[in-house]
Amino acid sequence: MTEVKLPPIAEGIDKASISYWHHAAGDSIKEGEDLVELVTDKATFNLPAPASGVLKDVAAAEGDEVKVGQVLAKIE
Amino acid sequence: MAYAQIERPAWIKKRLVADKAISGIRAILAESGLKTVCGASLCPNQNECLSKGQATFLLLGDACTRSCGFCSVKNGPTAHELDVEEPDRIADAVGKMGLRYVVLTSVTRDDLADGGAGEFAKTVRCVKRIRPEIKVEVLTPDFKGSPDAIRAVVESGPDVFGHNIETVKRLYSAARRGSKYRRSLKLLKYVKKVKGSQLTKSSIMVGLGEDPRDLSSTIRDLKDAGCDILTIGQYLRPLQDNLPVRRYVPPEEFDRYKEMALSAGFKHVLAGPFVRSSYLAEEAYLAAVGEV
Repeated sequence: MTEVKLPPIAEGIDKASISYWHHAAGDSIKEGEDLVELVTDKATFNLPAPASGVLKDVAAAEGDEVKVGQVLAKIE
Repeated sequence: MAYAQIERPAWIKKRLVADKAISGIRAILAESGLKTVCGASLCPNQNECLSKGQATFLLLGDACTRSCGFCSVKNGPTAHELDVEEPDRIADAVGKMGLRYVVLTSVTRDDLADGGAGEFAKTVRCVKRIRPEIKVEVLTPDFKGSPDAIRAVVESGPDVFGHNIETVKRLYSAARRGSKYRRSLKLLKYVKKVKGSQLTKSSIMVGLGEDPRDLSSTIRDLKDAGCDILTIGQYLRPLQDNLPVRRYVPPEEFDRYKEMALSAGFKHVLAGPFVRSSYLAEEAYLAAVGEV
């Protein structure tokens, strides 16, 4: 099981908003595929899946503000 | 004051690199207590650059004596102390990080008699002392146009001397309070006068309200000042109080600007939405000297 955490985006930025999940809980995903889109004041980022498997326990919804290090979902 | 923002198009999107190597580099930077302009400007390319072992060190403190409308570096008191150990600490961090190419920039320090030129020169020499083959690029403030200050930095032996014009002439007074368009051009020209073989570099942000004619004329002005390397990137508002993005320039328009600048005679041009003055700096240098 791999936890999907919000990695450090940039020094000075400690949070972002989730704008779009490219996959829903239960979807099979491959490592490196775009998983979730995040927005900061300056730019939009795509976070790739850190592992292959089934997406589970999605813990943040579109529109939520999340912090660096926060677990967003799990991949099993 | 917070400005309204226009909708961000699909091409203003970066992939977040979550490379383990980045945390090692971040740890070295954190331990050293050094500042990077990557962090101070909230640059979206940070993870990509750090994964390639590239960082741009911010000299002379983290408070600037000017307050450009596009910049998120804090504006501070005009008389903070110089950190005399900074050049050695930067050189030490460069050694630990194993960097081949280093970019040194700074806040503007109008409170210092030499504008901080002496610290630039010391830092270039300290880094070169670690390993002479390390390439060093400086990205300096305008030193109020002081010939002595400019000469001191050139004579310290940087491989690239950068000074950013940042925006077109028409928008200068609104975007760069305290700076002068002609003074920046004169600085670049004077660098070449001190040392004709010195590679020079400048950068323009687009999306602040300029039109293609403005840009064409700034590209020509920079070439006339002897500038060798040019980067053109999209202005992205770092904080809500900064100047608004007037327009997101589409990628194909950047391609046209690149062609325009290459036709004007620049040795190397990098243009694109996420291009910043220090982005892919080593590649730009190598291309300009003909090694790639």
